[in-house]
Amino acid sequence: MIDLKDVTIRYGDAAVVNNVTLSVEYGQSFALVGESGSGKSTILKVLAGQLSNWSGRIRLGEHELAHGRDKALVRLCQMVFQDPYGSLHPRKSVDAILSEPLAIHGIGQRDQRVQDAMAAVGLARKFRFRLPHQLSGGQRQRVAIARALMLDPPVLLLDEPTSALDVSVQAEVLNLLKALQEDRGLTYFMVTHDLPVVSFLCDRLAILRQGRVVEEATVDQLKQQAFRSPYGQELLSHSH
Amino acid sequence: MMTVNWLMSDAPETRWQAGLGQAYRTSRALFANPLALVGLVIILGLLLVAAFAPWIAPYSPIESDLSARLLPPSAAHWMGTDELGRDIMSRIIHGSRITLYIVLLVAVISAPLGLLIGTMAGYFGGWVDRVLMGLTDIFLSMPRLIMALAFVAALGPGIENAVIAIAITAWPVYARIARAETLTFRNAEFMSAIRMQGASHARIIVRHVMPLCLSSTIVRVTLDMAGIILTAAGLGFLGLGAQPPMPEWGAMISSGRAFILDQWWVATMPGFAIVVVSLGFCLFGDGLRDVLDPRNRT
Amino acid sequence: MSLLSVENLRVEFPSHQGPVEVVKGISFDLGRERLGIVGESGSGKSMTGRALMRLIAPPGRVTADRMVFDGQDLQTLPDKAMRRLRGARLSMVMQDPKFSLNPVMTIGHQMSEVLEFHGRQNRKQRRESVLKALRSVRIDDPERVYRQYPHEVSGGMGQRVMIAMMVILEPDLMIADEPTSALDVSVQSQVLDIMDDLIRYKGMGLILISHDLNLVSRYCDRILVMFKGRIVETCEAGQLHQATHPYTQGLLASVPVLNEHRNRLPILDRIQLGSV
Repeated sequence: MIDLKDVTIRYGDAAVVNNVTLSVEYGQSFALVGESGSGKSTILKVLAGQLSNWSGRIRLGEHELAHGRDKALVRLCQMVFQDPYGSLHPRKSVDAILSEPLAIHGIGQRDQRVQDAMAAVGLARKFRFRLPHQLSGGQRQRVAIARALMLDPPVLLLDEPTSALDVSVQAEVLNLLKALQEDRGLTYFMVTHDLPVVSFLCDRLAILRQGRVVEEATVDQLKQQAFRSPYGQELLSHSH
Repeated sequence: MMTVNWLMSDAPETRWQAGLGQAYRTSRALFANPLALVGLVIILGLLLVAAFAPWIAPYSPIESDLSARLLPPSAAHWMGTDELGRDIMSRIIHGSRITLYIVLLVAVISAPLGLLIGTMAGYFGGWVDRVLMGLTDIFLSMPRLIMALAFVAALGPGIENAVIAIAITAWPVYARIARAETLTFRNAEFMSAIRMQGASHARIIVRHVMPLCLSSTIVRVTLDMAGIILTAAGLGFLGLGAQPPMPEWGAMISSGRAFILDQWWVATMPGFAIVVVSLGFCLFGDGLRDVLDPRNRT
Repeated sequence: MSLLSVENLRVEFPSHQGPVEVVKGISFDLGRERLGIVGESGSGKSMTGRALMRLIAPPGRVTADRMVFDGQDLQTLPDKAMRRLRGARLSMVMQDPKFSLNPVMTIGHQMSEVLEFHGRQNRKQRRESVLKALRSVRIDDPERVYRQYPHEVSGGMGQRVMIAMMVILEPDLMIADEPTSALDVSVQSQVLDIMDDLIRYKGMGLILISHDLNLVSRYCDRILVMFKGRIVETCEAGQLHQATHPYTQGLLASVPVLNEHRNRLPILDRIQLGSV
């Protein structure tokens, strides 16, 4: 579903991501693990079509990703961001936020679709006309997930979707993400530094360090703490 | 009490209730500020006076009565009469229409223009930003009254030209503010999110960027009203704005200047009107800023 | 005698619906030990730390039956004496070093200023002390860091500088509010290890405020669990996993583990917990 081949990303002269080749199958949940500066967020931005200064080949399903504004990408993948406080427009109600993608693409039955989306992420109807500041962090993240699903994309990009949440709220959001994936056969591409979260949500992972993939592993290898690379072992040792 | 609870509800059930609730909260905060309330009363007063000018004014603002020249304030003429025997109060009352016309027209032209240029510069960045802001800086670097003078000199005197001249000199401030505001959130995640949903640049600017810059622009416009009134009066005073016999306040001061020592009321009364109305806008603008500007929220 | 003794500490803030209590009467004693305060956002854990430093500004209100630090009543101490106490004997490390350091002053200058404020030593001695403090947080070339501005150092380095700044006056009690949650995991344990060493070596007291149960149990001797402004559980760090309060148990269970086999994570029942 997602194929990266020899992807190199540059900021000015410096390459922040070097010859990364990855492939994620349809319906799989994949994690890109690394610390800040490893380039993991940069890869996510490229997949989201927000950066054009990359070389190599990227395919999403049958679609070849263009350098620059790519209209087809909208229906293929959407993103859930890290910060539930920064990812929702502060002056727009839940209803407006969820209706917007429908309005942009001229999709009808908006009332019904908004209600369905809210139900799918477990948001009660009473939240529909609230503004983001009237919601808790977990509720906001549910709105962000619902927004990403409004256009029914097969791929969801997840940018540390729970790292800004309390642990008990993290559990709720992780459960929701897992249930949505099971129900809809979504493909997840998650960026994170949290190995236990990967262990819960993902099937496969790649470890990124200074713009290079140091190790690809299955989640079983993670569970048995059987990483081959020294850096992978180091990460494990920090994750108590 | 029921309605208050309904308005203040944290869980509005309809778009309507949410909107009304927001408006109620804003107005409640505004009413808690006595100075802003004074400003609001003055502005409402100006609106009412302008709306009902022909019915309120005791005399005609234009017809002269040379037998009643330069009379001091009295029961018949509360603010006295001018050199052509016209009742000054009637002229001020009718003049409020001109003032309001100028102020509103300037606001309607310059605020959207500034907002559009500022948000575009902030949103696109790069060369668009440099070009637009260069333009803004050029306009901003020239003193407003001088600029207005130059425009009026080129276009010819008259209210419409005065309005155009003032509007052209007023927008750069709004552009600067809108750009600065836009820069604070242009890289926010909600902007990335809306871009990812495939919204066009125009849609993003109009529906997502502008609403966030709107409140600071409104506040600034309200605060600028006083300056606009003064510039308009200044143009009138110099004979480049409203033309006689129109009862424009600045022009009235100008014509009263000749008698300032012996017949003080001729120049003072319209001056007083300018001060009161300017003050009203300033006070209201200050109050509005406290309510709307999120940076002042604690 | 205990270093810090707190009884019935309350913090309240006014709101439209009347005052809201964010800390609802908590009591604890602290010796020269490492105490962890754990809770989620809104539990009142950060407010507790700030109240102890007397950093809660009006309209917030702090009351307590007793709040004594080494024989000095923190409630009645005049502001000036409190400022002397802060830093010299009682210090606080905040979450993000970027916001706690003055961006237009070199690190060395800022640290010397702290010493100067507390009237210690002459210029040359101050410089020596600063370099020594920087070395004590395992900064290899303190001379260079001394001349650098805060934006020129990495997050981990910045947080080490913060800790150096705190320990330079050799306080008796350090309050660290989420000192590492802005840092990468590998840097996190480095910074905490450094902090831990210093505290043991100098025999300071520590209050470590965090949302991370595992982290707190690793670096503290004793743990207080806060929920909705109250302490719901107190236990030895090693016995955290035998916690008895349903909130603590729920919290522990909801964290995914490395070897995760549950298909769903258990969810806290907040409504039921609210009545506990």
